[in-house]
Amino acid sequence: MIKRSKFSLAILMLVLVLGVFLAACGGDSDDNNDNNNNDDQTNDQTNDNNDDNSNDSTNDEGNDNDSASGEPQMGGKLVGAMDTAPAGVFNPIFYEEAYEANILDFTHEGLLSQDDTLQFGPGLAHDWDINEDNTEITLYLEEGVKWHDGEDFTADDVVFTYRSIASPGYIEAGGVRTEYVDKLVGYEDFVNGDTDEFEGVVAEDELTVTFKFAQPNVTILKDVAFPIIPEHVFADVPIGEMPEHPGTLDAGEVIGTGPFMFTEMLEREQYVLEKNPDYWQGEPYLDSITWRIVEGSVMLGLLENGEIDFIADPNGVAAQDYESVAGLDHIKIHEQADFGYQLMGFIHNHRTAEDAESGTINPDNWVPNEDMGDPLVRQAIAWTIDRQAIVDQLLLGHGSVINAPIAQQFWAYDESAATLYEKDLDKAAELLDEAGYVDADGDGYRDTPDGEEWVVNLNYPTGNELRERSAPILAQMIEEAGIQVDLRQPKEMTAYVEDLTNNTGDWDIYLLGWSLGSGDPDPSGLWRSQDAYNFGRWNNPDSDQLIADAITPPDAFEQSYREEVYSEWQGYFSEDLPALLLYAQNKIYGFNERLNGVNPMPYGFNNDPHLWWVSE
Amino acid sequence: MYKYIIRRILVFIPMLFALTVIVFGLAQAAPGDALTGQQLADPRVDPEVYEKQREALGLNDPIPVQYAKWISNVAQGDFGKSLVFNGRSVADLIEARFANTLYLGIFSLFITIVVAIPIGIYSARKPYSLLDYAATGFGFLGLAIPNFFFGLIAIYVLSINLGWFPAQGTLSGPGMAGFEAFFSRLHHMVLPGITLGLAGTATYMRYMRSEVLDVLGSDYIRTAKAKGMSDSNVLYKHTLRNALIPIITLMGFEIGVLLSGAVITEQVFQYPGLGTLFISSVTNRDFPVVMAITLILGILILIGNLLADIFYSIVDPRIRYD
Repeated sequence: MIKRSKFSLAILMLVLVLGVFLAACGGDSDDNNDNNNNDDQTNDQTNDNNDDNSNDSTNDEGNDNDSASGEPQMGGKLVGAMDTAPAGVFNPIFYEEAYEANILDFTHEGLLSQDDTLQFGPGLAHDWDINEDNTEITLYLEEGVKWHDGEDFTADDVVFTYRSIASPGYIEAGGVRTEYVDKLVGYEDFVNGDTDEFEGVVAEDELTVTFKFAQPNVTILKDVAFPIIPEHVFADVPIGEMPEHPGTLDAGEVIGTGPFMFTEMLEREQYVLEKNPDYWQGEPYLDSITWRIVEGSVMLGLLENGEIDFIADPNGVAAQDYESVAGLDHIKIHEQADFGYQLMGFIHNHRTAEDAESGTINPDNWVPNEDMGDPLVRQAIAWTIDRQAIVDQLLLGHGSVINAPIAQQFWAYDESAATLYEKDLDKAAELLDEAGYVDADGDGYRDTPDGEEWVVNLNYPTGNELRERSAPILAQMIEEAGIQVDLRQPKEMTAYVEDLTNNTGDWDIYLLGWSLGSGDPDPSGLWRSQDAYNFGRWNNPDSDQLIADAITPPDAFEQSYREEVYSEWQGYFSEDLPALLLYAQNKIYGFNERLNGVNPMPYGFNNDPHLWWVSE
Repeated sequence: MYKYIIRRILVFIPMLFALTVIVFGLAQAAPGDALTGQQLADPRVDPEVYEKQREALGLNDPIPVQYAKWISNVAQGDFGKSLVFNGRSVADLIEARFANTLYLGIFSLFITIVVAIPIGIYSARKPYSLLDYAATGFGFLGLAIPNFFFGLIAIYVLSINLGWFPAQGTLSGPGMAGFEAFFSRLHHMVLPGITLGLAGTATYMRYMRSEVLDVLGSDYIRTAKAKGMSDSNVLYKHTLRNALIPIITLMGFEIGVLLSGAVITEQVFQYPGLGTLFISSVTNRDFPVVMAITLILGILILIGNLLADIFYSIVDPRIRYD
């Protein structure tokens, strides 16, 4: 009997444990996070500026506006899907990911916004004056704009936003947007704590604000277009605590001026945006937009059965799914080029171990890479690559070959100045012969001019499936010209970047992708000899000079002048070849036909959501 | 018994300490840090900015210094802040995910046991019967089908086509409470729970079958039967208790495994649990999160094993601890 009762006890315990577990289930759930940095393509922050006011964009397939359904109707709910949850920082000055941008695009706005030709137009500011030498801009703000909590939007909010980004401790708190403030008057003194006064941004009155730059500023409009955060919410919050403030993290507490309010979330699963009925550009048609986090492989099924209405930024529909989506009668597709590109870089020079150790980037210390030092060799390799075949086979045609490291959407992109490399093995052979790389020992592979064995290694990271698949194809294409290629094992992105930065000692070729901003085509940061991200350690004084010229006032105030300089630079680039640009992928947006009024911009889908409406 | 338990718990302390040292060392030995990946995402941001952040986060300190800081904070119950999720504390990140993982783990274990044990017993009583073969075949099929594949099939058939179960997530919407939330949660748990639970079924089933077979052949069972005891009595009173020992061992380990999350299942069902957090933290070099999860799992696995040992003595009185 005793045994029996013990056994019953065990059963009883099991029941109790289950009971507790079931009861616990009833509690509400809050939640958490996860992150992705595995793919450098995913994180474009091209949409720092939210709203936009012009229309019509290029090469779209679905007709966007005025579909057959006629007049816009009020009401309706929309469900959008993205494949990764936002990290959860819903504050324009602290967020870093495209996934948060999908929320912030609806809730926050900047003073200016970009149109479909990437020119800046009015946003929260309806007008502006720029002084003679481009050091000052005065913006006149829209009257009657209210924050989501009913407070008035004023020039003080603008001052507060820029002041916060400029304040000491902003970077330490995790902010990275100092490029918007570091050209303003008095930034250095303010950020170093030498003064409490920040002179760079001044509120002239309630609705007038002036930005003062230390130097004439060529990208003045881009610099004043940053999304504005509410002073009344954050005024008493030290900058170091702003990232953990409810106004940054919590649904219902995040306050902006945008057409939708971020009201509820089930973290990492659903994010609910409700319309802001008092939106200054007019009441939005939709009642709400819900973002759902959906696994990529399930997304299409849910799009098909109507559970989700649109798949847009940052990743859109995958190229291999294009046909299945196009085959759905109720789904429209909008396809446009992305701002990023993939490249095959050549390591021109190696940094010394001492420099890598101390973090110094000094071209004078660099050691030339013997394998890739000769421009003829780089050009020869470029002539072995059939980029169109990669676009056709790997991207299934949903992308384009680009010939300069400037996004093709920009006025600055000039293909005519660049060499249009294509597969031409004769040319490659000719160049290699000229450079002295011939097969000396008869093993079928070319050797160095000194008769040594010549092996070119190709390195690539994991994380972007298309890029991973392109690596062996590229290696094979290069081998066709008789160049022996050592295709290295791929490395995980973080380890790869670490190596690229400090330890390319014996590297020859690397694969990488960059996402570019839509704000300005200036390639500084990536391709100047001293730039940290100039991983090939390309050292070309002419190129450095041109990049600098293109943003040096006063000439650079003329866009035509900049166009000219950039053309010349693109010529240098394709001649000296720090990298061969491979392709720019297309973004494929898919949305249910009941969604009307969408008008994607070159840099993003989330444009003018107050004009979106659904027909039932 | 109590002495034994206390002694075991005291041994936990050096073990956990060693665990943290090893994992910390390994985490630091991995190339790159939490900011390396973020850095490339946006080339417009000056690398100097990240250098300053590294300095502020103490990532440039020598590793022993970083470890000392970390362990002294943990000793005070502070797991620190995530390096990747700006503004989020590690405790905050883990808390809700832990709950999700716990529910899913228990639910799937429940499914495993409910399916595996009766089938195992049946197979043992009628070995080499048609049903035995069928059950074994079914169990191994469950083991052999990759989780993500089974999950996707389940989603497409049961969710997208038939609409019986939700395809993704843990609840149908924000702001739910009470019974509504409970049923919604249960409803959402069915597909991932089955996906996860079926994978473990074969193991338990086979263990159960072989143990019961083993025990059924022993002398005391023959004696019991000879005394004229009914079959069911023999089975439930004498056989099962003895056959449960290895199952308990298995479950002791299973607690740790289940609570470490099921990365693939979580991914397919977008069910936010510890597994995906752990993996993403490893790839992102978010070492405070990695350390916290490792520590929690270490504790759970130790506790799981201790519980298993204690349960032995309950199930089998011959096992005693002094």
